[in-house]
Amino acid sequence: MKKTLIAILLAVFLSPAFAVTSMKATVNGMVCAFCAQGIEKRISKMPATKAVYVDLKKKIVVVEPKDGMALDQKAIIEEVKDAGYDIVKVESISKSVAELKAELVTNK
Amino acid sequence: MKLWFLCIASLLVSLTVKAAPMGFKDSWMTMSDFSKTYRELTVNYALTPRDAIGVTSTYMQTNNQSQSQLNNELTYTRLVKRWNMPDAQANIWFIGGVGETTGNYFNGAKATVSPGMQADYETTRLYASANARIYVADGITNHVVSTRTGFSFYEANYEETQPWLIVEIRKMSMVSSQYEVTPMIRLIHNRFFVEAGANLQGQPRLSFMYVF
Repeated sequence: MKKTLIAILLAVFLSPAFAVTSMKATVNGMVCAFCAQGIEKRISKMPATKAVYVDLKKKIVVVEPKDGMALDQKAIIEEVKDAGYDIVKVESISKSVAELKAELVTNK
Repeated sequence: MKLWFLCIASLLVSLTVKAAPMGFKDSWMTMSDFSKTYRELTVNYALTPRDAIGVTSTYMQTNNQSQSQLNNELTYTRLVKRWNMPDAQANIWFIGGVGETTGNYFNGAKATVSPGMQADYETTRLYASANARIYVADGITNHVVSTRTGFSFYEANYEETQPWLIVEIRKMSMVSSQYEVTPMIRLIHNRFFVEAGANLQGQPRLSFMYVF
């Protein structure tokens, strides 16, 4: 009975319906970690931001919202512009920053 | 034709070329550069994504130390143009200073201005830049021009340390009529940017940048 309950809870909480929806932005000009610091610093300060992930190889920035909060995509795009870069594509992905980092480690 | 050639040459030959000479909006950046003949310390603040103001102290001396000059200036840095490409970034910068200069080969303190330009191109594996700056005071005109080119040993991600090999060719008219060639190792890690090397005469060189 106990095992069945745990299995049901796991199935419910790990289902896509409960997955985090993060914002994934493809950014032009992002070639140097030193110069891209502004992206992480500025977006991290936004009230709805839980975590920021910058990937120089894939030229993407992923922003994960805090629980129960919505990201302001327009404001994030402006912050990236203020950091000196151009966003060329915005998508929503069902992954957290922690999951993306774990994938990176696995794929190494 | 000759004018065009000089314009292009002045962009391809440059001063103390760094990575971006200012940080992101509302950030502070410190830059320093130390060698026997040239020492520089700069702090600037980015008012906008394209404009920064700051202070710079620059000390230059000849190899035999017979002549030296110290410039203390208020500086203005302007991102004139940026090209953000999928795998590269290119920039043109204006860097100018207004202040005071003193030296042991002229009398007293003189007002000085120092306009300069920098152009750079960078990918995750390649770097090239050029910079030219002229220091003008009453009866004194000096220039510093340099180019830097280099490559990264491997493509690093955002949170990893990235090592580069950079070679700088620099000419400082106040210091020498010779070109100075300096190979350096550049390390970039998060907000730290460090270059260390030695010129072909064996004089060590260290530069450092930090953004906060």
